[in-house]
Amino acid sequence: MSSAQGSTLSREETDLDSEFSQLLSGQRPYQVVVWNDPVNLMTYVSWVFRSYFGHSKARAKELMLQVHHQGRAVVSHGPREKAEQDVTAMHQFGLQATLEEAE
Amino acid sequence: MATAFRATTKGYRADLDQHERRLLSSLCADVITLLQNREKETDSTPDGASEDPDFAHFRAEMAGLGSDEPLAAPTDEVLRRLLPDALADEEEAGHFRRLSESSLRGAKLADLRTARMLLESSPLSIQEDVAPVFGRALNDLRLTLASRLNLETEEDAERVHELALASRSKDSESFMAEIYTFITWLQESLFSAMTEFLPEEETDEDTGAA
Repeated sequence: MSSAQGSTLSREETDLDSEFSQLLSGQRPYQVVVWNDPVNLMTYVSWVFRSYFGHSKARAKELMLQVHHQGRAVVSHGPREKAEQDVTAMHQFGLQATLEEAE
Repeated sequence: MATAFRATTKGYRADLDQHERRLLSSLCADVITLLQNREKETDSTPDGASEDPDFAHFRAEMAGLGSDEPLAAPTDEVLRRLLPDALADEEEAGHFRRLSESSLRGAKLADLRTARMLLESSPLSIQEDVAPVFGRALNDLRLTLASRLNLETEEDAERVHELALASRSKDSESFMAEIYTFITWLQESLFSAMTEFLPEEETDEDTGAA
């Protein structure tokens, strides 16, 4: 669509643009979700988020509490290959995790 | 009486009685057997193929690559918990499992074998670099016991806790509950100590999102 208004893209259009480029590259974005379960310890889950994803102590705790209170939290985004790698790592640590197409 | 993990100059140390170390080691051995049985069950190598252990890894890779058929999830509850589906859709999960399960299984087997080796020493002394390995193995033991105790909700966790504390009559369920609670305590102490020593590093993502 052409526009007489020229080059000033609104923020909304910029976001759309990046979604298009992801579609064009043929790589749909995926995300990894960690689910709450009554076995994994809060200390352990926070430690996993810090040591594997390199999160700060505060960010790891925030994510862990999101899993605990909301039942799930998105812990990583990216191309399918990265999501597969991350979900397998979470399974190695014994966390309940799945990958899904990002919304 | 056991004392929990604490940090030392050489890593982490806990004092466990011999029977406690033996118990943990034999639990590791049980989970190793479970995982090995799954390995045999999913092994698509025809009988009579080379038994050379040098090729075991290669064969495991080929087992994943050789077939396009989805691999069904294990029927055993414990194995389903240790080797969970990675996708909600059953068929997609099966395809991913075909490619990924053997390496996940291998990683868990390696953790549990290392844990058994570490449990040979008294006091139980864990160097910094193997602490995550030992911690993951403890977690797998807890997942295994939790699955056998049908621990699925927070209420179940409460029930198991009560069972471990209250009962002196040693039926197998209260015995398992007691061991579960013991390993929980041990794992908590290890990761509390490890958390203290984890360096704080902010990633770009963290600073960007904050």
